[in-house]
Amino acid sequence: MRTSIISILLLAVVAAGAFLINGCSKMTKPETVLLQVKDDPTVSFRIWFKVGSQNDPSGKEGLAALTAAMMTEGATANNSYEEILDKLYPMAASYGASVDKEMTIIYGRTHKDNLDAYYQLFRDAILAPAFNEDDFRRLKSEALNYLEKTLRYSSDEELGKAGLYNMIFKDTPYGHVEAGTVEGLNAITLEDVKNFYATHFTRNSVVVGLGGGFDNALVDRVTSDMRTLPDVPYKEVPVPQPRYDGENEVLIIEKDASATAISFGFPIDVHRGSKDFYALWIANSWFGEHRNSSSHLYQVLREARGMNYGDYSYIEAFPNGGRRQMPPTNVARRQQLFEVWIRPVPNEMRHFAFRAAVRELQKLVENGLTEEQFELTRKFLRKYVLHFAPTTMDRLGYAIDDVFYNIGESHLEKFRRMMDELTLEDVNTAIRKYLHFQGLRVVFVTKDAEQLFDHLQSNAPSPIEYTSPKPEEILREDEEISHYEIMIPPHRIHIVPVEEMFQK
Amino acid sequence: MRRQTCSFVLAAVVMLGFTGMNKAVSQGIFPYKYSIVKLENGLRAYLIPTQNPGLVAYYSIVRTGSRDEWEPGHSGFAHFFEHMMFRGTKTYPGPVYDRLVTEMGADANAYTTDDYTAYHLKFAREDLERVMELESDRFQNLFYDEPEFITEAGAVYGEFRKGRTNPWWVLFESIQNTAFDVHTYKHTTIGFEADIKAMPTMYDYSKSFFKRYYRPENVVLLIVGDIDVAATGSLIEKYYAGWKPGYVAPEIPREPEQKGERKVEVKYDGKTLPILAVSYKSPKFDPDDKLAVAGYLIENLAFGETSDIYKKLVLQEQKVQVLGASFDKNRDPGLWSIYAMVKDEADIPYVLAKIDKAVEEMQNAPVDAKRLNDLKSRLKYGFLMNLDTPGKVAGNLARYVALTGGIEAVDRLFATYEKVTPEDVQNAARTYLVKEHRTVATLKGRD
Repeated sequence: MRTSIISILLLAVVAAGAFLINGCSKMTKPETVLLQVKDDPTVSFRIWFKVGSQNDPSGKEGLAALTAAMMTEGATANNSYEEILDKLYPMAASYGASVDKEMTIIYGRTHKDNLDAYYQLFRDAILAPAFNEDDFRRLKSEALNYLEKTLRYSSDEELGKAGLYNMIFKDTPYGHVEAGTVEGLNAITLEDVKNFYATHFTRNSVVVGLGGGFDNALVDRVTSDMRTLPDVPYKEVPVPQPRYDGENEVLIIEKDASATAISFGFPIDVHRGSKDFYALWIANSWFGEHRNSSSHLYQVLREARGMNYGDYSYIEAFPNGGRRQMPPTNVARRQQLFEVWIRPVPNEMRHFAFRAAVRELQKLVENGLTEEQFELTRKFLRKYVLHFAPTTMDRLGYAIDDVFYNIGESHLEKFRRMMDELTLEDVNTAIRKYLHFQGLRVVFVTKDAEQLFDHLQSNAPSPIEYTSPKPEEILREDEEISHYEIMIPPHRIHIVPVEEMFQK
Repeated sequence: MRRQTCSFVLAAVVMLGFTGMNKAVSQGIFPYKYSIVKLENGLRAYLIPTQNPGLVAYYSIVRTGSRDEWEPGHSGFAHFFEHMMFRGTKTYPGPVYDRLVTEMGADANAYTTDDYTAYHLKFAREDLERVMELESDRFQNLFYDEPEFITEAGAVYGEFRKGRTNPWWVLFESIQNTAFDVHTYKHTTIGFEADIKAMPTMYDYSKSFFKRYYRPENVVLLIVGDIDVAATGSLIEKYYAGWKPGYVAPEIPREPEQKGERKVEVKYDGKTLPILAVSYKSPKFDPDDKLAVAGYLIENLAFGETSDIYKKLVLQEQKVQVLGASFDKNRDPGLWSIYAMVKDEADIPYVLAKIDKAVEEMQNAPVDAKRLNDLKSRLKYGFLMNLDTPGKVAGNLARYVALTGGIEAVDRLFATYEKVTPEDVQNAARTYLVKEHRTVATLKGRD
């Protein structure tokens, strides 16, 4: 009984349009990813362009994101932006863009009742953006405000994570946030946007993704429209090679914060589709499943000690983690990272919290999972993966990522199969192969940076005090944690005032 | 039953027979057929089969939120208590509960708002009985000791700290504190910092909170997805019928009529563009009150992306980066707010004048009939397009359940929307958007 239900679930979640993905893809440009869902009264669009912030020219960081915003939040040749908003309004529909390191998705969804009128607006955004001076001024100002105000000040967690990504991929095309840098944005002209669009949004870089209740006529219409994009050869950016050595390195972003956000990690070279990836996913899920109380780190820091709101880890990029429960799609990257996210802790506990998390990572690397932990975690994941893609739009996102990673089948389907096939030895081998507890890149967002500098470089004891009684085993462990050594040479600790973050 | 998907079809409602009632009652915008279970202890459950093979969403909605924190010094307690609900029972202590939920691969979480607290799980159909067993157990038999309680208070303080850096959070806290004198909407859901700091001392109070509010008369279940209605109804009877009633209504002070405009300047200890907020006292939610329902439409007509003020301030003059309004639906009279993130502090008076002008235009003449019809269309499509998973169905119904005790309010609300005329919108603007009943807040960051 259980098996048959799982089979039904699997079909529902991952395979709604699989026959179309394989059967109807056209070999001529543009490629298609089609996910037809009978009876779905809506149509979902995900038009993927193989361009992202990695394509930003040096000194013009933010150009890809600004170009995509100009396409989807500005006028077109046929309508002012005000007219576009007026026309979309009664449809309760919209379209937008998401820009990551390597991918730009122009997405939208409409009820079938409004498909013709909606698609006319949607295609214009891609094929005929007006690139008005007024829109440019508005959107550039928004992007600058995001970097100078929002990212620096409104969420220390997002600030810390952005700082970690930049640090790990420094001096590579991944080395700046998608929104760019303050100096980069200031240097961008409207002419730059037009040139970037003409060079990168081409018939050779586009993949058409359609989901829901569409018919073949729409497929023909969209692909035919996308063939009118410029015929510029697609040029691949080399895979980023992050500079990496075995020493720990710390960035302290100094600001007057009442609590300390901590992120740390390192690059890893393992991707969807490979057996090791799924093995590592099991290990990571046990260690730090995103926003899940079953995670080991969460149990150690939050449940047992009440230090913060949560503690998680990742083996793939996971942007906007505070606002999502399930993994994002279309942030596919050829170079990934292992990342630990410790939500803000009281300043006086920052050193202890960091030590506790690294110590747990060391235990994971040295001991691996037990049979019991392995069995429980894969049992959890077998079903938990069903929640990754509940909507057509989500499934379409995964199907596009499958093409990016060249998996040759559905990642979600393979994920479930691998949960059955993997062994404990596979998991523990992957842990030893990809994870380590030295050579970390670490970011603290905190105040009194000099004091933290001293504590880190001297390995000063960091005892912790509680307001409630704790079991003896916790107190014994605390004693070990507070003296746990993490070697960080002084020259590898950098203090940067928050005002300088994302400047250039 | 077949899912009717997101098209405009009629929904039939069936009352299952646990209290002896059986009747079909409703038709309206809500596209799914559903059944209601009502137990003698007062618990209600809405069973909504949808065509999402194998998946079920299970929402337990406690009609208690920060609104119910009427005792001084206890702001934020409903949210804190939500955390304690994960500490388990004698039968299933916290770690055992966690393990069982983990084995199911369920997506489980909870959230607290001003008017309610929702506990939700999404899981595979085969696990429905186990979920019901666990949920009914913790709602009836929650058990935790004082050290656990104090430890969890640390996690709640951590949640407060993580949000504190957001200027909007700081602004909302100040608006509510200024706009209300005695009603519990004076504080936000997370609560005042002083009260959060004092939470570790409130172990005994937490038990009283549980006894008063976590009672069957105050809880509604939403079970949506791949379910067998009759079997699910029997399970509800099996697991919840023994739950003892005993809800004690909170003594929420009635807010006196505001007699004059209030102003507050809010300081944010970071850098941000200044934010201007204009908040009017609003009526309580009543889906049949045409005047109040017409008021909700002003949010979009006067301040949405197609409004004149949006086009002028955001798109043309570009003096404002963000403009929007939030005319919330609340159990008691609350606030309807308009927000503008202004690029240059010197423009704040100008932007306020434009907001006033937009309000006056709503008050002085009936809104264009086509715009009103376009909005009605938008609301319909917007609602229906967001019902494509069991979780989204339950999530979108949760507030209506909390405010009224059932999901019937959705059909009634949309039926009332249909009846609203341009003159009704004008009357609503005149009735509710009154200067004497508003609070004007300006938030500014560091230079």
